[in-house]
Amino acid sequence: MIVNENSKYYIDAGTTWSKILEIMPCGKRKYNIYKTKEAREFKINYEKTTGHTSDKSAENYENEVVALARGAKIYLQNDFCALDLGSRDAKWVKFKNGKFSDMDWNTSCAAATGATIEMLLKFYDVKIEDLKFTKEKYPVTCGIFGLEKIMDDISCGLCPSVAISKFIHGIAYNAYNFAKNPDKICISGGFCENKCFIDSLQNYCEVLPLGRFVLVDGLTLQQR
Amino acid sequence: MKKDIIAFWGYPHPDLIKKTKQKYPGANWVDLDINFGYPSSKSTPDAYCGIIKNIFDNAFYLKDKIIKILAAVGKDKCDSGFFAAQLLKNAGFDVEISYFEDVSPLENLCDVPVCKSSLALKDKLSIITANIVAQRDYSHLKPSRARFGFWGVPPNDLSICDIFPPETHVFGWSRCVEAKNPANLELEMYVEKDLPTVFFAQTFCAKNVLAKYLAQKYNGLYIEIDGTPSSSAYAKIEAFLRLR
Repeated sequence: MIVNENSKYYIDAGTTWSKILEIMPCGKRKYNIYKTKEAREFKINYEKTTGHTSDKSAENYENEVVALARGAKIYLQNDFCALDLGSRDAKWVKFKNGKFSDMDWNTSCAAATGATIEMLLKFYDVKIEDLKFTKEKYPVTCGIFGLEKIMDDISCGLCPSVAISKFIHGIAYNAYNFAKNPDKICISGGFCENKCFIDSLQNYCEVLPLGRFVLVDGLTLQQR
Repeated sequence: MKKDIIAFWGYPHPDLIKKTKQKYPGANWVDLDINFGYPSSKSTPDAYCGIIKNIFDNAFYLKDKIIKILAAVGKDKCDSGFFAAQLLKNAGFDVEISYFEDVSPLENLCDVPVCKSSLALKDKLSIITANIVAQRDYSHLKPSRARFGFWGVPPNDLSICDIFPPETHVFGWSRCVEAKNPANLELEMYVEKDLPTVFFAQTFCAKNVLAKYLAQKYNGLYIEIDGTPSSSAYAKIEAFLRLR
C-alpha cells in the first residue's frame, strides 16, 4: 500500500479483514480492504482505529459499537436498526427519533459468523456465487451444532452449497432475533456482499445493506 | 491455629450480627461473598454462580480460622445460599442460618446516602457491603446528580465499576442492603425512569430474570457476567454509557 503523508487514515481492523479509509488533502475518500494480517505490516499513523484486532488501550481507539452508531447515522434517518455482522461477532444499535435507544453485542459466541462461512467455503470448495437462498435453515444458536448438521447432511448426499446456504439462513434468522425482530435491518459488514445472507434475512424483514465501511466512516466524525 | 473469624454471606439479620459481635468481641469479620482469589474448593459445578463459588472457596480456605458462619438463606439471599449453608454444615462448619425478610414500605426506609453519593462506584459497593457489619453513619455524604444507574449485586469482579463515572447511582439489591431491607422486592425493582441504567446480574444467578425484565422496561442495558468480565463486556457497557 502506498502511503500518502498528507492524507488522514482510519482503520476498522477486524478479525479477518481490515477496512482502511484514506481522506486525501482535497477531501476525496478512498476505501480499501486488506487482510488484517497484511494490514498489520503497514506503517501508518492512523487518526482513529476500531475493530477487534486494534489496540484497545490506544488513545485513538474507538469502541466498535460507538463507531457503528456514528457511521450508521451518516447513512440513515432518525429511526433505524443497524446491525454489523463481522467475522467473529455481531453488534447492533437502534436509534429512535435521532436518539440512541438500544444496543447489543454478541460477545460470547462467535462461531456462526463470517469467519465460519469463509472456512466452510474453503473446506467444501464452494464459491460464494453458488450459494442460493433456501427456505430450510439449520438451527445455529450454537455454531458447532450447526456445523455438525452440515457435515451430517453432506455425508448423506446433500450438495455442500445447499448445506452452507441452509447454515447461512440460520445465521440470518439468528441475526434477526438477536436484533429483537425489527421491521427493517440496515446491515453493515462483509455479509452485505453475501446475496444468500441478504435474501435469507429478507425472508423476515426489510433489509438495507450499507456496505463494509460503516464503522470506518463513523471514525471520521468528531466526538460530541 | 487460633480461630478468630466470624464469616458471613449476604446480609445476616442485624439482631444476629449484634448478638455475635457481643459474644465474639475481638473477632475478624469476613464476607465470604467476596472474591479473595483463594484456590478453588471444587465444591460447586463449573456452571454455577461465581458468588456462591466464592462462599465455598473462601470457607474451605479459611476453615481452620473460622469460628462460625452466619448464613443468609432467605429471600434476602437465594436458594443457593440455603443449599450452601447445609453443605457447609455437613462439612463440619458451625453454621447459623439467618432469614432477614423484614419488608418495610418504601417511605419508611432509611435514606441511602452511599448509593446516591459521588463516590466511585467501586467504593460505593465496597462501603455498602462492609457496612453490613461496620454500621457506620454515612449521612454526611452529599447526593450527586445522577448521570447513570447501576442495578444489581456487587459483581464478583469489581473492575467493571471503573467504567462508570462517579455520578452513578446504585439500585437493586445493593440499594436494598444500604436501606437495611435486603428482601424488599419493591425497592429492588425501583429505578429512576429516565436514568440510563446498566442492569447487571452474575451469570447463573436467579436475579438475571429481574435484570432482563427491568432493562427492557426502562430501556437500559442488561448484562450478565461470569467471573471475570471479558474485554467485550467492558466494551458493551462503555458503548452504552457513551451512546446514552
